[in-house]
Amino acid sequence: MKPRVAFFDFTGCEGCQLEVLNFNLEIVDLIGAIDIVEFREASSDHSDDYDIAFIEGSQTTDRDVERVQKIREKAKILVALGACSCTGGVNALKNRFSMEENLKVVYGDSAKLYSTIPTRPTSAYVKVDVHLHGCPPNRNEVISLVKCLLSGKKFEQCHNPVCVECKLAENICAFERGEFCLGPITRGGCNAVCVTGGRKCWGCRALVDEPNVNSEKEILKKYGLTMDDMMLQFKLFNGALEVSK
Amino acid sequence: MRKLTIDPITRLEGHGKITIFLNDDGSVANVYLQIPELRGFEKFCEGRPVADMPQITPRICGVCPEAHHMAATKALDDMFHTEPTSTAKKIRELLYSAFYVTDHTTHFYILGGPDFIMGPDAPVKDRNILGVIAKVGMDLAGQVLNTRKENHWIIQAVGGRQIHPVFGLPGGVSKRISEEDRQKIEEIAKRDVAFAQLSLKVFGDIVLKNKAYVDMIVSDAFTHQTYYMGLVDDKNKVNFYDGKVRVVDPAGKEFVKYSPHEYLDHIAEHVEPWSYTKFPFLKKVGWKGFVDGKDSGVYRATPLSRLNAADGMATPLAQAEYDKMYSTLGGKPVHHTLATHWARLIELLYAAERLLELAQDKEITGPNIRNIPTGKPTEGVGIVEAPSRNFNVRSRISGNWGFLSTSSGRASSTLLITWSRPLSAPAGQARVFECFKRPKH
Ligand code: SF4
Ligand code: SF4
Ligand code: SF4
Repeated sequence: MKPRVAFFDFTGCEGCQLEVLNFNLEIVDLIGAIDIVEFREASSDHSDDYDIAFIEGSQTTDRDVERVQKIREKAKILVALGACSCTGGVNALKNRFSMEENLKVVYGDSAKLYSTIPTRPTSAYVKVDVHLHGCPPNRNEVISLVKCLLSGKKFEQCHNPVCVECKLAENICAFERGEFCLGPITRGGCNAVCVTGGRKCWGCRALVDEPNVNSEKEILKKYGLTMDDMMLQFKLFNGALEVSK
Repeated sequence: MRKLTIDPITRLEGHGKITIFLNDDGSVANVYLQIPELRGFEKFCEGRPVADMPQITPRICGVCPEAHHMAATKALDDMFHTEPTSTAKKIRELLYSAFYVTDHTTHFYILGGPDFIMGPDAPVKDRNILGVIAKVGMDLAGQVLNTRKENHWIIQAVGGRQIHPVFGLPGGVSKRISEEDRQKIEEIAKRDVAFAQLSLKVFGDIVLKNKAYVDMIVSDAFTHQTYYMGLVDDKNKVNFYDGKVRVVDPAGKEFVKYSPHEYLDHIAEHVEPWSYTKFPFLKKVGWKGFVDGKDSGVYRATPLSRLNAADGMATPLAQAEYDKMYSTLGGKPVHHTLATHWARLIELLYAAERLLELAQDKEITGPNIRNIPTGKPTEGVGIVEAPSRNFNVRSRISGNWGFLSTSSGRASSTLLITWSRPLSAPAGQARVFECFKRPKH
């Protein structure tokens, strides 16, 4: 029997689901090998019966927490899809403020009508079997994960920092152009697309396994920057990293 | 009283829940569209470097990140008082046109369109792209996928990334377009124009030649007399990337035309206790509730609204289709919400024609892609027209941001209005949603 795959979205922009939908022709092959039983963005059909659950988005309400726990009970394999689910993503930027402040700025005097909890990545609440990093993740990585799940092979994350792929792409280093790049400490696997696009790395794929902190410190020193500058940058996508498991 | 709940709403970006209260005789008493979460962009942008805004705001919506990226980038141009170079403006508009082509295609054939193409009585299981393929045939379906793929390629090649592009910088863009890529884009644009024309033909064959559909389009249930809003160029033609905001009243008369900086004089937001989403309205008319008419500040900003708010289209083929739509539906403005699908296809054709014009402009490959900002940053506002999808009723998400910067260049206060709202009177909504999304029993 084909494995049944479900996509669930929580708080996020849904770019991860879109990234999957945008496989276009590639996805047609995969569709032959799996049954997609839940995909809110693309279809009105629902099912509660699935083997593999992709979780997109972070958990930001009590209702989200209950829902993700129920999904965990049913799924054999649970995948955190994208930065929001892996590390909180940009949603975690709100954790720098009290929840009351957040509500007040958004809703003014009506704030008391609403409630919200600090943003958490999925692993803060349930066991996550595979993390697919990125905002959004790289589609080739999603495809290779699904292939691994189908064949029973172990899925391997990229263990190099973004710099390795960046150098292979023969980019001019962003630091040389006066931009602050997080490539040295960020997990690769995206082919350094943002640098190739003329910019820098913002760290959306979270920390590489063994970040070379010394080399990062040296780079910081060379360009007259501090650890605080770096943390400010790094928190953009990884504000809830410390509570992820 | 009975209660029906549709949760979650599907084939829509963003979360939503619809609750319908029915009277004992089965008629609709009230309908609520609820957005059940707070994300907090208005607050959490505070204290971030302003240069981050074009990375942060796109994460509001992964369906139209280009719109947020572009609006935030334009706000930075404004904030740093730096006009982008002519080549940079053209590169931005080129990417934006390709984005409109993919987005309108996605909406028409995959998200909103399936209800329409398959017909309001089609079973839920058929209302998706696979159902559409079965109905319109594999050949056209192949073209749909190919159009999406090719224009996504343009966005990736020009914008650096397909979802959440990175190319926008104050005063310009980060990367040139090579001659090789320009030629590829030109070929794609030619196919886009043909595809848009074919889509209009399909719409004519499936919808306009079918009396039941036409009756539904012009029926009372789908008609709301509201204000309409859209960006226009200096000749009052529809423009997606730049221009002034023009609003026309329910009779089609210009109500106001304002430039980005004046938006706070014209737009305010209303909060309802039952939803996390906010409801923008025309400040000078005032909030009178979810009702239509000249005295209600409810306005719409959809593809149809943009056509209503403008005097025409800036490209010849789209202009001819524009004239045809208004002559068929009895003149301007058109209040029939379902005509939005038609308007979307006319915009698709315009976007394709504009993409082709820009791809054939030799300046597009020029080296002069950025004016480096030198001035002291102050405050910036950027507005673009987002294609908008959400059901077939209204919703535009138009980036409309004011940043107040401090000397350190961090956003000290970010005001961000995400214009994305459902439309007008609850009873009307009920009919729209009931017709298009029946809850499963
Ligand atoms: S990880 Fe990024 S792309 Fe995915 S939902 Fe979150 S914000 Fe969107
Ligand atoms: S620091 Fe950034 S730009 Fe430089 S090589 Fe590493 S990833 Fe590339
Ligand atoms: S270059 Fe950095 S920011 Fe860009 S996709 Fe890769 S990890 Fe994310």
